[in-house]
Amino acid sequence: MSKADVVAMILAGGQGSRLGVLTKKIAKPAVPFGSRYRIIDFPLSNCVNSGIEIVGVLSQYQPLALNTYVGNGHPWDLDRNNAGAYILPPFQRNGSSDWYKGTANAIYQNRDFLDDYNPKYVVILSGDHIYKMDYSAMLKAHIEKGADATIAVYEVPWEEAPRFGILNTKEDDTIEEFVEKPAEPKSNLASMGVYIFTWDVLREALIADEADPDSNNDFGKNIVPMLLNGGKKLCAYRFSGYWKDVGTISSLWETNMDILDKPEEINLVDRSWKIFSRNPVKPSHFIGQGARVKDSALTDGCRIYGDVEHSVLSNSVVVERGAVVKDCVLLPGVVVKEGAHIERCIVDFGTIIGKDCKAGSFVEGEGPYTNKKLCSEGICVFERGLKIKDGAVIPANSMVDVDVEVPEDQAIIESTFRV
Amino acid sequence: MFNNAMGLILADNKKISLGELSNPRALSAMPFGGRYRIIDFMLSDMVNSGIKNVGLLTYNKYKSLMDHLGTGAAWSLDRKNDGLHILPPYVNSEASAIINDEELTGVMDFLRQSRTKYVIVSASNVVLNTTFDDFIKSHEDSGADISVMFNRDGTKYGNPSYIIETDNDGFVKDMLYNPPKPASSKSSLGILCIRRDLLLDIIAKQMAHGITHFGIHSFVKMYDELKVHAFEYSGVALRINSVQAYFNASMSLLEDSVRADLFSEGQPIYTKVKDEAPTLYFDNADVSSSIISDGCRIYGKVEDSVIFRSVTVAKNTTLKNCIVMQDAHISENCNLENVILDKNAFVRPGVRLVGHPEYPIVIGKGAGI
Repeated sequence: MSKADVVAMILAGGQGSRLGVLTKKIAKPAVPFGSRYRIIDFPLSNCVNSGIEIVGVLSQYQPLALNTYVGNGHPWDLDRNNAGAYILPPFQRNGSSDWYKGTANAIYQNRDFLDDYNPKYVVILSGDHIYKMDYSAMLKAHIEKGADATIAVYEVPWEEAPRFGILNTKEDDTIEEFVEKPAEPKSNLASMGVYIFTWDVLREALIADEADPDSNNDFGKNIVPMLLNGGKKLCAYRFSGYWKDVGTISSLWETNMDILDKPEEINLVDRSWKIFSRNPVKPSHFIGQGARVKDSALTDGCRIYGDVEHSVLSNSVVVERGAVVKDCVLLPGVVVKEGAHIERCIVDFGTIIGKDCKAGSFVEGEGPYTNKKLCSEGICVFERGLKIKDGAVIPANSMVDVDVEVPEDQAIIESTFRV
Repeated sequence: MFNNAMGLILADNKKISLGELSNPRALSAMPFGGRYRIIDFMLSDMVNSGIKNVGLLTYNKYKSLMDHLGTGAAWSLDRKNDGLHILPPYVNSEASAIINDEELTGVMDFLRQSRTKYVIVSASNVVLNTTFDDFIKSHEDSGADISVMFNRDGTKYGNPSYIIETDNDGFVKDMLYNPPKPASSKSSLGILCIRRDLLLDIIAKQMAHGITHFGIHSFVKMYDELKVHAFEYSGVALRINSVQAYFNASMSLLEDSVRADLFSEGQPIYTKVKDEAPTLYFDNADVSSSIISDGCRIYGKVEDSVIFRSVTVAKNTTLKNCIVMQDAHISENCNLENVILDKNAFVRPGVRLVGHPEYPIVIGKGAGI
């Protein structure tokens, strides 16, 4: 294998349990986003657009959809002769086998992959953020400052700082301290989960971390503090573009809505920094007679005969005559039947919303699927592959999950199917 | 699915011109249906039939076609064995001035190198979604030397048309080119099935007789010496024979039944992927009965139209019965009806253009109005 200056590793193995049913069958990075994309398209496209052509994708939780989606990397131009996208699952080795215990352990277990390329620098990325970023500019700063590690930071509003991993820095942006979710933050620079390490330094740290039985084997909690304690030079790299974490139902919904409300911020039409995705091979979408579509994003294969307002539709969604879809995120293949009315709903792959159903933020009360732990702001979520009974009523903040036991007289799921 | 066949597509047709739309491209590279080129349909039909070796016979204006096809990866035709072969004129520097058979020489080499039993040969002016399983089966069952696909559209799509007459067993007994009063509605679709070795023999004979051009219907015309069987195709088949036919074919896509046939679930039509953003509809967008492709920004009104990728329709602008190709921009306060806008066309604010449904206005590639 040939040598490389930079290798990127995308941490894509986490479950993303706060997304509830949306990540029951697929890993979070494979969750569809923004009409045409999956979440992982953003870090993958950023890599390619930054000139990084060796990308390891560490998968573990429900890897089938993710592995199939990334495939040989062709949609991102990552099917190169001596480079490309590599799916890196946990594996058995002589005498032992381990799941990835933490983010740092996942890289530790794949140190052979990195050693084969023997890169000078390793870029560590996570698969759950929506942003466009030039990692090569960050790498340039890393090299110029002679840093051992550089962490991308984003200025968050002070009141939100306690929700993030916060970096306290000196005036020259070298990092003094990393604090996970501080109650009284000393800075508002949040870690974006984008790291560049000099590989020799990281390699040593990973081995030391693995030897510590009390470690969580996590970059933020363990590796960064270890390097700081060891006197290494860690620098913050300020990023000021659009950046959103889509780890929760409400943030996933909001970030989808940003495509409609702030199209210039994420700027998906910028041809100099395209976000690439695997194509569904569907015809252009069709808007039927009498349909009304406004303030919305649509893509190939959709067929719209009803009202769609302020919604983001993935490929092959069908909205029948007389149906109303408002403030919704509909994932590939969803069907909204005649007369149904849904607002603030996230509907997963292929689910059929029956005739005259009412669901979402405008439906008051509570039902068997009410789930205020995961759903907020009135948002309803439907699992994939469900046929919802005609006329069903689903109140705000529900998560319709086939595994929730519901009394027969309140059942709204007519059947389930494989998608 | 496992057909012992290869494909040969004629990329252009010297008898068909789409006026200004033909200037920059071969007929098969003509954009169609929002995100496709005409050739995507035949290539996908072949691939969906299990054909893994496709030759594309070109003689001029093939740049836009080559850009579109690339390595053939979009059709899974980037293969070590077989795959997509573009066959430009075979120019031999020593002999080209004397021997004028470049077009056929290239085809001969390509056909010789294949190992399949049959060849599906197709013209470039037809849009349909089918597999050739039934066609090949019928060819084998009939014991014919050559089979030709037809439907009963007669001369509906204008000239050029090839009207065939058949005997009771379905064998061709006559073929008429652009007949003023057709005796039959059986119109050739320009798609043939023929044994590869027989095709090689015929071409060799044609070359020996000084014929330089590969003509599909010159094979059908051999009904006196060979058994030429006719196979009826009953699905949707759109012929692109003129600007008017192109306009009508595009508009017919707005009918649910036509789209359901041409874009059937199990037989996807593949095309080059452009990775455009999703299409955004803004506050005052008002779209009905239209095909809209990715990457568009719609602020205005669009009715009964086919809109290709990355088109902008600005505020207070109305499009009706229009075909707008990739990257065209229509500014504010425009009113366009029965207009075909080619790629990159730019319409300045306040323009009013009204064509007739039987004579649409064509705005050429990159033109500014």
